[in-house]
Amino acid sequence: MATSINITSRHLIDIVKYRVVWLCITAMLLLPGTIGLIWAAIHNEHHIPLKVGIDYTGGTILQYGVKEDISNTALGTIRTNLEKAGLENPNIQIIHANAENQKENKDIKNIISIRTKFIGQETSTVNKITEVLSQDYQNPDLISVSSVGPTLGKELFKNSLIALTLAFLGITIYLTVRFKFDYALAAILGIAHDVLFVTGAFALLGIFYNVQVDGLFITAILTVVGFSVHDTIVVFDRVRENLRYYSKKMSFGEIMNASVNQTLARSLNTSLTILITLLALYFFGGVTTKDFVLAMILGITIGTWSSIFFCSVLVEFWEDKKKKAVSAA
Amino acid sequence: MKNKIILFWAIVLIVIASIVTICVKPTKLGLDLVGGSRLVLEAETTKDIATITPDVMSRLQFAIENRVNKLGVAETVVQQVGDKRLLIEIPNVTDLKEAKAFLGETAQLVFKKEAVGKDGEQVWEDVGLTGQDLAKSTLSTDQTGQWVVSLEFNAAGSKKFADLTKALVGKQMAIFFDGELQSAPVIREPIYGGKAQISGGDSGFEYAEAERMVNLLNAGALPVPAKIVEENTVGPTLGADSIAKSKFAGAVGLGFVMLFMVLVYRLPGLIADIALIIYSLMLFALFKAIPVTLTLAGIAGFILSIGMAVDANILIFERMKEELRAGRNLFTAINSGFDRAFTSIFDSNMTTIITSVILYMLGSSIVKGFALTLAIGVVVSMFSAITITKNFMHLIFGTGELKYPALFGLKASEIGKAYEATETKRENARFGILD
Repeated sequence: MATSINITSRHLIDIVKYRVVWLCITAMLLLPGTIGLIWAAIHNEHHIPLKVGIDYTGGTILQYGVKEDISNTALGTIRTNLEKAGLENPNIQIIHANAENQKENKDIKNIISIRTKFIGQETSTVNKITEVLSQDYQNPDLISVSSVGPTLGKELFKNSLIALTLAFLGITIYLTVRFKFDYALAAILGIAHDVLFVTGAFALLGIFYNVQVDGLFITAILTVVGFSVHDTIVVFDRVRENLRYYSKKMSFGEIMNASVNQTLARSLNTSLTILITLLALYFFGGVTTKDFVLAMILGITIGTWSSIFFCSVLVEFWEDKKKKAVSAA
Repeated sequence: MKNKIILFWAIVLIVIASIVTICVKPTKLGLDLVGGSRLVLEAETTKDIATITPDVMSRLQFAIENRVNKLGVAETVVQQVGDKRLLIEIPNVTDLKEAKAFLGETAQLVFKKEAVGKDGEQVWEDVGLTGQDLAKSTLSTDQTGQWVVSLEFNAAGSKKFADLTKALVGKQMAIFFDGELQSAPVIREPIYGGKAQISGGDSGFEYAEAERMVNLLNAGALPVPAKIVEENTVGPTLGADSIAKSKFAGAVGLGFVMLFMVLVYRLPGLIADIALIIYSLMLFALFKAIPVTLTLAGIAGFILSIGMAVDANILIFERMKEELRAGRNLFTAINSGFDRAFTSIFDSNMTTIITSVILYMLGSSIVKGFALTLAIGVVVSMFSAITITKNFMHLIFGTGELKYPALFGLKASEIGKAYEATETKRENARFGILD
């Protein structure tokens, strides 16, 4: 190493030298998802850039009374069969019938409640569902077909966005006080980067694999935001510390490089521990939470990238520009 | 050293308290995870409200929602079905009687004034003040320590109530619920501002009596009466099959994380694992004690906070390794590992707390559950990842030299070779002193 002071034992990544490369890779990572979002916004109903589930749109509840007991595995079978029959993301719940209520048909033991997108008057869809259930149950009795409003309406979505905006503002103020405005701005841009990547990925998944976004998606995004800020702050904290000791001996670029490399092991190990849990949930966990886990896997991975190759590069870039402006004057 | 032993026993006590809490208190899981009861309410018309308009329904939904979701977390789902029905899904409760008790009375509350009938007997006359004018009722005590029932009216109710009390000074005003007389306090003076108290006369209220009043008053704060038309118990919305699988997967994942910590960080990793187990116990006990109803979103917040607790330890251990490589002695390395990592742990956790407080205050139900568990989790994780781990490290390693670098996952040749040791000089004195 050419520098006289070497404060890290290992120099694996040169943030400063290849900053154009890193920024280009970042742009390339974001491009497909952004195109997907725009494409979907133009083509989707109501111009929503993501395929939204019944949590947001409301839908139809079909209730079938059956005489048999329903086990967990049988519930899984019903779900798979319905999906095979072409029903998108059916939300299935078992209602244990209360004998007093079933005045007409006292034999009914359980009610299979299926929530799906609006069916309206399409009897063909209803018939298809009845047919699927008839495979495993004797004469499933269609008790009711009713429409339900969204559990996550527009109002709720708007409130969440307002809350998120205020949270961003809070983070910006805190980081400006503890660090500098440049750092705060970089951290916020890092979050925006991660959220854009994950929503973009889901827009693409929606276009190509018909993946829907449900109420849990908001939670997944919030989790990603939480981690993203954490990662970024750890790097910035190291920069702040190194600046205190070495700002006279080293350039800002060198300090940034050293800090990223010093925190590299931590960044990778932390992300790895989270990814271990998430991958286990993805591969061994239930079907209903798969997309939720996938959103987090994508988000945590991209969050690690952005804290190392995006936020740090941004701060270094701005600092460099300022310095050049000063020396030019 | 003495302080450390005291702290150690304090931690042991906390663990025991947590385990007891976990054993004694029931777990509250959300509708998505365990299912519960499903009630359907139908709104009924009254003299004043002849038709059930969408506005009435949304006020009814709001009132019911406020009543059932006390912490504001998505415990109970209240959803409008059709024109005049509300679907209420209560998690955990599979006993329908209990479910109905939880929902509370759905009949309406009416205020009436004293009047004299044709034959000179006392009769009660409608005054146009009903349950929908009442904002809420709470149980409290007065200066003498007796139980009183506090009433708070909404804006419209406050005005009506002020006018009424002005006209009724010295007379009785009665509260009727479902047609039955509940209480008939005497108005002592005109009451402005919409806040009133009912005391139990000279003998005072029994606690149970006052509590019953409060429950009835709150129950009566519905815009229209409603009756239960359907009642069933339901399975989890996320599907029992999926949840069983995810439970297994979550356990496998956590197991791998613990293994990872031991493999990478060796003895400190093992200590962190123990701290993590204590952390989970404490958090779980807290969730049960508050009580927080755990939904999948809440569990996501929980997992995120576990991640942050692990992260704090990784930060500390990486720093310790660096300090050891730089040639500092074990005790100093442990202390500076904690001290140096503290600012980044603190700053990153502060942003998380800021975010979760804002999300809890403004977010919608699903976001609230997440924010609540995350905020509690982060606060507890600071304690476990810093205080508990540090205490265990000090008790195990004492002030001795590091004889076996492999315990930290380091090679003997790495120690003291890394970089100049100028960094911590300024704070050396502080780290060197035994606390």
